[in-house]
Amino acid sequence: MTGSQHGRAGERLAAPPLTVRGPGAGEVTIAGLTVGGCALLLFVSEECPTSAMALRRLGPLCRAWEEAGLTSTAVFEDPLEVAVRVARRLGWAGGVASEDPPYETSHAYRLVSVPTAVLVDRAGTVAASVTGWDHQALAALIGRAEALLGAELPVPEAIEPLLKPGCSSKAAIDPELAAAMSAPAGTDDIEEMFERGWTDGLPVVPPTQERVEAMLGGCDGRISLGLVPPDMGEATLERVAACAVLAGCRPAYFPVVVAAAQAALDPAFNLHGQAVTTQPAGQLVVVNGPVREAIGLNSGMGALGPGFRPNLTIGRALRLLVTLTGGGMPGKLDRSTQGQMGKVGFCVAEDEEVSPWEPLHVERGFQPGQSVVTLIGCDAPLSISDHRSRTPEDLAWVLAWAAASQWSTNWWPLEEPSVFVICPEHAEMFRAAGWTKQQLRRFIFEAVHKPARELRRGETTPFVHAADPAAQVPKWASPEAIVLIVAGGEAGRYSAVLGPCTGMGYQIVSREVGSGWPLTM
Amino acid sequence: MAADYVSPFDERVREPEPIAPRPASIDGRRVVLLDIRKNRGAEFLDRIETLLRAEGAATARSAKEIFSKPAALGLIDEIAGRADLVVEALAD
Repeated sequence: MTGSQHGRAGERLAAPPLTVRGPGAGEVTIAGLTVGGCALLLFVSEECPTSAMALRRLGPLCRAWEEAGLTSTAVFEDPLEVAVRVARRLGWAGGVASEDPPYETSHAYRLVSVPTAVLVDRAGTVAASVTGWDHQALAALIGRAEALLGAELPVPEAIEPLLKPGCSSKAAIDPELAAAMSAPAGTDDIEEMFERGWTDGLPVVPPTQERVEAMLGGCDGRISLGLVPPDMGEATLERVAACAVLAGCRPAYFPVVVAAAQAALDPAFNLHGQAVTTQPAGQLVVVNGPVREAIGLNSGMGALGPGFRPNLTIGRALRLLVTLTGGGMPGKLDRSTQGQMGKVGFCVAEDEEVSPWEPLHVERGFQPGQSVVTLIGCDAPLSISDHRSRTPEDLAWVLAWAAASQWSTNWWPLEEPSVFVICPEHAEMFRAAGWTKQQLRRFIFEAVHKPARELRRGETTPFVHAADPAAQVPKWASPEAIVLIVAGGEAGRYSAVLGPCTGMGYQIVSREVGSGWPLTM
Repeated sequence: MAADYVSPFDERVREPEPIAPRPASIDGRRVVLLDIRKNRGAEFLDRIETLLRAEGAATARSAKEIFSKPAALGLIDEIAGRADLVVEALAD
């Protein structure tokens, strides 16, 4: 990865001819590339993460270089269609060329690894070269081009990593092996993910080096968020990013996924118990703050259902972290008797703009302008239809009693939280009547009481057994076990309540999204 | 093209914990009965305790904070310091 120049000091080597193909009809030659000044050849390979990084970091500079007389061409040791696709995906604005086995051009340029940057002057001689990613050496190479052209050229921003070794050039490995590596794999990469067990049962996006690197953004993949129960696999950011790729996340969602993982791994959340329990509960991710709009989370129509990529993939990424990195695979260490679809992943954004109340994250001590995820252990949602209540008391009573059979008909009181997702039309009725969130929470708590004697049938709690038969037993141990958020479409009077994950002794955990971003060591 | 994927798994190989040697007899052994606090686990331990005492074991009871969390390391150390054998009652 150290910068070096071809030949001994003072020796000037003629740039070898190019045996490459470009996307256009014309031949790609050294003479053609240097006709207006100098040429930068960037030798790269699709499967090399350092090559991807080089393309991403240098790509945005290509146009300014071109205007100053420096043409830039990425020479891929890959088929042309791959080269074009990768270049486009990584934002490479320069030219693209491809060489086939046995990689004559890479041999001629004495390549050991990729990326290798080679500066060719207008006389067609090699003026400088840099192997791997070496920011300082690349800046010097660009400085050399400036001197040759007599023009100023932009250099890439000095961001970590400043040094990153490359990958073996295909010209530097056994020709038969290189040919084998370039041959079609003969397998479907989606099917390969199933064969590897990297799935929750649905097709996944293969976590290639490039995709994982893109997901990480500027984050250091070596950073550990901790051990993921139940099998205590280490959640390096690289593995979290791999799970996010598998889930189908876009890189913009990654800060939310990381915050969710941080919250889930807080010992107070007791992910260990939640991951292995025979209960059906999954981990609900509630998102608040500006990040909702920034990444397109849906808090409106169908907020608890399908159709929106960030909602579906963020929750899924967290669950893949639990099942794959953490080993909490259903039927193995995950002993859930029946499971529920929320265990595939469940991410809800609160509609703070429609809500008459302070949003969940503000209730929990954050500022309105902060983006926050909140993790809650939850059963599947129960939809509650109420189109005919005309007073907030009647509506609150319907909502409250719909939740009365949560967990089990006679299991009172519940210690762990139930989450009510209030739809906008229901929220409007409370707003119009001036009900605060605390009023509604208190009303729900007070509404659902029964005498202990009515609860002594089938399974019930030791609390009920010990209580005086006439004593009024509440459904929830305290009003604080009732969580209220607002989400859903503007029309239709359907709210929902999500049952608890009981017996976990856990606490709801919130984490700010993007704090200290990008995460570096 | 042979793809190079990033594994979501922690690929480190961990050696399985060896099973502790089984005693030939429990007569005179110190046995801790660990209640994980799951429903009716204590009833099961009561019965086991009666049988162990009949076999000459010296028994003592201990309990986890809650069934759904791993035993605290301090509790494990404390039991290891005062027991030859442990019986852990699991679920209802």
